[in-house]
Amino acid sequence: MIEIRGVSHRYISGDETKIFEALSNVSLKIESGTFVSFLGPSGCGKTTLLRIANGLITPSDGEVWIDGERVDGPAPDRAMVFQEFNLLPWRTARGNVEFPLEVQGMARAERDQVVTRALAQVGLDRFGEFYPHQLSGGMKQRIGLARALSVGPSYLFMDEPFGALDPQIREMMQLELMKLWDSDRKTVVFVTHSVDEAVFLSDRVIMFGTSPGRVIADIAIDLPRPRWTDDEAIKTSPKFIQFRNDIWRQLKRQLVAMPDA
Amino acid sequence: MSQTTATVPAKSPAPQRRRSGVAYWWRRSGLITVLRFGGITAFIALWEIGARAGWLDPLFASSPALIVEKLVQMVMDGSIWPHVIASAQIAGLGFGLSVLVGVPMGLLMGRSETIRATLEPFTIALNASPQVAFLPLLIIWLGIGLTSKVALVFLGSFIIMVINTEAGVTQVDKRLVETAHSFMANERQIMMKIILPSALPYIIAGMRLAVGRTLVMVVVAEIYASTKGLGYLIFQAGGLYDTAQVFVGVFVLATAGVLLNGLLRWAEKRLAPWQHLQNG
Repeated sequence: MIEIRGVSHRYISGDETKIFEALSNVSLKIESGTFVSFLGPSGCGKTTLLRIANGLITPSDGEVWIDGERVDGPAPDRAMVFQEFNLLPWRTARGNVEFPLEVQGMARAERDQVVTRALAQVGLDRFGEFYPHQLSGGMKQRIGLARALSVGPSYLFMDEPFGALDPQIREMMQLELMKLWDSDRKTVVFVTHSVDEAVFLSDRVIMFGTSPGRVIADIAIDLPRPRWTDDEAIKTSPKFIQFRNDIWRQLKRQLVAMPDA
Repeated sequence: MSQTTATVPAKSPAPQRRRSGVAYWWRRSGLITVLRFGGITAFIALWEIGARAGWLDPLFASSPALIVEKLVQMVMDGSIWPHVIASAQIAGLGFGLSVLVGVPMGLLMGRSETIRATLEPFTIALNASPQVAFLPLLIIWLGIGLTSKVALVFLGSFIIMVINTEAGVTQVDKRLVETAHSFMANERQIMMKIILPSALPYIIAGMRLAVGRTLVMVVVAEIYASTKGLGYLIFQAGGLYDTAQVFVGVFVLATAGVLLNGLLRWAEKRLAPWQHLQNG
């Protein structure tokens, strides 16, 4: 379980004259084995909170506890998938997936096995020797996903992972993520801008508002699972549409309130 | 010669749309090839014609035929080799040490604010000063043998390696560092697995610049208190108005420079292929 307790975070401008309040007093509990999305407009602090929960950023105030331990940095049972893929261009797909295992000191023979398995999980078994620049965006993010899965994390943090992909590939990746997720039901925290994506994937959608960044709604999505077997039926069901419209209405209110919307 | 700024490694332009046909080949590469070889060939031809027709005084300008003749003679009778070997030894040692010391120093300076603040005044001062001016001091400290010459080459080249490596480190994609951090990499792993490979194109670009600096420093070092080496050869010949031999020395040095540059370009393409293929 992830417990976010009274987390606030401020960014100070370079000349120290302006303070940007990215998050203000956010408290949340995320049960293990659930798929939770953070949804909200740009600048609502959702990505910051994801990084705080993972341990990449230390919050200005408050703390995060995961499974009874206080988060004070990244840990081997938490892995991150990034919007811009963040693959090492000088390493092949295999080399990229291998990176965290290498860093964590796993023996080569074992590493080879784990990497092969992780690449197969994301359907890239035949592309191990390709370099990122030789692969499409969707394939790059599959490597990003395989890299995160390779460490066998209990917690998967995904920062707008499909945001850089074109719409069709994005939907395919959502289906595959659902399929993967159904096989072991890790705890996933998924940051997104897309209402449809959040509703389709999640058990719970947590909506964020801006200035200051804060939680404005916490919506349980009780659509049936598995969702990847017949996604069209799910996406056209009255319940899905109801969720989507409710969430969109609230999001719109946030966007209208924003000065640059 | 005294100021060095970091060079950005050359990126190949975005690939063009594929087209075919002789006209296209001509536009793309035929004309360029003709210009490249045509220009230099015309220059050599004019030089030779000028010397033979008496427009140029062979005492001052020599001529391509005389230079080639001299070069062949020096190679055949073996008189050139001791000079080449002496210069190569100084260049190799000086350049090698520059890379061995300059790269780690640049990496540390680029990564640590404390180290940069401490060392930057020295590197700025050394970079801004004409390093050849240190030669008398180096000779006083280290004698007239190999050591002072290697030290001069080192002084000139290592500063280039430091500055380029540091520039390479500061342009490393912060997101890759964050990614490594999220997967529990420690500082040493971040340095070896993220920073060093990212900075490699800059390091190789620095090496290409340093090759040029190394050759200059070798010649300068060999002018003084030397009895062999290409620098010695050139200045001794100059004193005797043997212009053909001066050109032989210059030619050998220039060839070495061009070959080493080509080798480094090739190494860069091999070691950092993503730099050239990013758009593919």
